[in-house]
This record gives sequence, structure tokens and C-alpha cells, in this order.
Amino acid sequence: MLLEPTLWPALVAEFPFEWHYVRSIIYVSLYVSLVAVTLSTLFSLPVALLVGFKEFPGKGLVTSLINTGMGFPSVVVGLVVLFGVSNQGPLGELNLVFTREAMIMSQFVLATPVVTGVSLAAVSSVEQNVRDAAFAMGGTRADVALVTIKEARYGIATAVLAGFGRAISEVGSVLIVGGNIVGPDGHSKTRTLTTAIQLEARQGQFETAMILGAVLVVLVLVVNAVVVRLGSGNGGRY
Amino acid sequence: MTLEATDVCYGYDDEAVLEEVSLSVNRGEVLAIIGPSGVGKSTLLRLLALFDSPDRGRVTYDRNEVWTAPERQRLEYRRKIGMVFQEPSLFDASVRRNVTYGLRVRQSWRDRLRHEVASLVGTQNGTGDAIDALETVGLREKATQDAASLSGGEAQRVAFARALAYDPDILLLDEPTSDLDPRNTAGIEDAVYRARNRGIGVAIATHDMHQAERIADRVAVLLGNDVIEVGDTERVFEDPADERTQKFIDGELIY
Repeated sequence: MLLEPTLWPALVAEFPFEWHYVRSIIYVSLYVSLVAVTLSTLFSLPVALLVGFKEFPGKGLVTSLINTGMGFPSVVVGLVVLFGVSNQGPLGELNLVFTREAMIMSQFVLATPVVTGVSLAAVSSVEQNVRDAAFAMGGTRADVALVTIKEARYGIATAVLAGFGRAISEVGSVLIVGGNIVGPDGHSKTRTLTTAIQLEARQGQFETAMILGAVLVVLVLVVNAVVVRLGSGNGGRY
Repeated sequence: MTLEATDVCYGYDDEAVLEEVSLSVNRGEVLAIIGPSGVGKSTLLRLLALFDSPDRGRVTYDRNEVWTAPERQRLEYRRKIGMVFQEPSLFDASVRRNVTYGLRVRQSWRDRLRHEVASLVGTQNGTGDAIDALETVGLREKATQDAASLSGGEAQRVAFARALAYDPDILLLDEPTSDLDPRNTAGIEDAVYRARNRGIGVAIATHDMHQAERIADRVAVLLGNDVIEVGDTERVFEDPADERTQKFIDGELIY
């Protein structure tokens, strides 16, 4: 019944938000999470390769820190980042309180242990003889690292998805450092889908919260599908 | 052109694996390194392939000391040496991409990027070198196949083609046929002949003495952490200078 075209205008008419408002919170959610996870991946892959294949003093401690970070309470991360960017903090001069950049920082801190930990498991599972083959054929250290990443691409795709899932579903820390702000023009400044859902639910607007929740789930599904598609190539790009 | 180890010593933790071993591989010859399993044949090949530096002793390429050379120069030496392992160790990619890997890593990053883009848009497929190398191992028709779909024997022949594709001076083979059936073993041995006839020096580690007798010009016998005898194949098998070689050839367990 709901799919009958004659009902669509009625549904749109009853939609409880302005479209530009919804679009802006989707944009902020995606922008903050994708930038944070991209930065996190760029940071995590070299760390995973280093920890996975280099012997150095304190390697066990680093591994433990990564594993601990995977379960780190997000509210604490938000508090620490808020202190860091506040007037009293080391980054106070940058005026990042209640900005998207501060939200990216907190999501980066939350996603990085997840991306690093899962990537570490993925690259560690690449067989030594495959790495030896790349070296034996004249590969440099960078070539061997590239082969390792290509061989571990399914696991790394999982790591990126796990990091993205952690970032986009985050409420506590982005609420603390972002402030859940909508501008006077009705566009989101630092409001994300999760903080909007939290706000609507608190105000008893369960229907609108559910609609935003559905939008969030669809977004996560789409991003997952894209990453899985990218990660499941035939490995032809060595 | 000679790859040579002189008085090399190497060990893991406190256990010595090789003690003052000297051995050379020349272009255009097949050298078989024979000895029982676990005697250090693979370790010796890894030292010759410049994976690891010896604890003591020297490795030279064309009389140039390898481990005192700058890293860039050492990379150039490494790129004149190919190696095939007991396991095929193919990448999770097509056969063609596997075989052309050694050629690609020798290109500049800019050229690699340009070829990748050309390959993506379908204006360049880079199959020429891969096809030549695959022809040598009789697998020309497998170029577009996924490497994971090959049988064990085919995979090992592709691994051989992959090492041949960039035309090394020296090819090191670490028990390449130990897991293969007679047909694939014959395919590898035939490819060894062809490589030698192209002027490539081949060193093959094997515990199969019949294979060594079939394909080698010279034989080195590795026993008890040391090369106890090196010589022409016929002489070593028919008139060994060392009593232990005779016992090993006769099948007596002396290790």
C-alpha cells in the first residue's frame, strides 16, 4: 500500500522536517565520519604494518594499547578532546570548540584503535612466503607493504567499516565537542543524525526519531555496500 | 657473472645453521645443492638471495661485496637474482598480474601509475612479457585466469615463470618440485634447462639426488652445517672425494 504512487504526495506532506534541514544533518554526519575514518585509515595502516612486522621494544605494550582503545568510552574521549580544544587546552588558540573539526578529532580518536586493531589482525594473517616472494622479485619495502595491503584487503575493508560504524553511530562525544548546533538558517552546523535522533527522542518525537534512524541505517548500508564492493575486487591492481 | 658466498656463517638464536660455507653460482650453469632436509639449504639460498646478511663471511655479486654496498646498489644486485620457493606463494590476482609483478616493481612509480591507468581504461594490457615467460613453462593459455584457480603444479610453474619474466642473471630454486607430481616436475626441469640455455645461472636446492643427477652441471653437498664437496655432477656421483658424500648418495643416514 505504501508503495502506491498516489500515496507519495501525502507522505511527503507529512514528513516532519524541512528537506534542507535533513540534508544538512546527513551531510554533517557523512562529512565528519568519512573524514575521520579516512584520516584514521591513513594513520592506522602504516601503524598496523609496523606493529605487525617489525620487532621493537614495547611492541606488546603498543598492541595492548590498541586493543584497550577499541573499547574506550566515547564520552571520555569527548571530554578529553573538549578540554584539548577549549580555551585552557593546548589547541585553545584554534577556536575549535563546537566545530566539525573538533567532532572529526573525537571521531578520529574513537575510530583509530578499531581500524588499527582490525587492520593489524588482517595484515598479520598475510603469509610470510607471499611477502618473501614480493621481496625476492626485487620489491622494495614499500612494494612489500603494498602487496601486504592488497592481500589483506578484505580484512582492511572490514576494519574501515568497523571504524566508520563506530564514527557514524557515535552520540556522546560528538554531542560534547560539537554541541548539536543548528544555524539560524535551519541548516545543521554540528548536528548529526545521531544527535538529532537523541534530541527528537528526548522531546518525545518518537516518529521523527524513527524516521531519522531509518535514514541513518540506510546510509550505513550504502557505505557498507560501497566499501565491500571496493574491497572485493579481484586483486588485479598489484 | 658470479654470485658467491665466502666463509659465511649464519644461525638462529644460539644454534649455528651454516659454518664457514663457501659456494658460487655462475651464469649459464645449473648447480644442485643437495643434502638432507633441515641441513640449511633454504638458509643458504636466502643468504644468496640477499634476504639476510650472514653473521660472518661475505656475499659477492660479480666480485662486488653486497652487504657493504649502499642500499640502492644492493637493490640493483637483488634485482638480478630470482627465487622460487617450495610453496608457489602466488599473489591473490590473475596469473598475468603475478607474472608481470617483477617487471612492474622495476618501473618508476610514475610509469607504474601510468600503466595502471592505461590498464584500467583498457588501452594497455602488458601481456607480452607475461606470455613469453608463461610460454617457457607451458602455461600460455592460463594468463587471464585467477591464480587461486590453478592446481599446485600449475601454480609452481607460474611461480617459476614469474621469476623468469624479469630475466634475472641468477635463479635460486628452493626445492621447487618437492610437492609436485612427475609431470609437473618434468615441466619445471624442462624450464630449468631453458633458463640455463638463455645464460641464466640456476642454483637448485633439492634432497632428490636423481633430480640433481638429471639436471645439474655441478653439485654441492651440504652436510653438517658445511658444504663438504663441490664438483661436476658426474664426478661427485661416481667418484665422490668425501666419504660422507658416498654414504649420503648410498642412502645411509649420516645427518
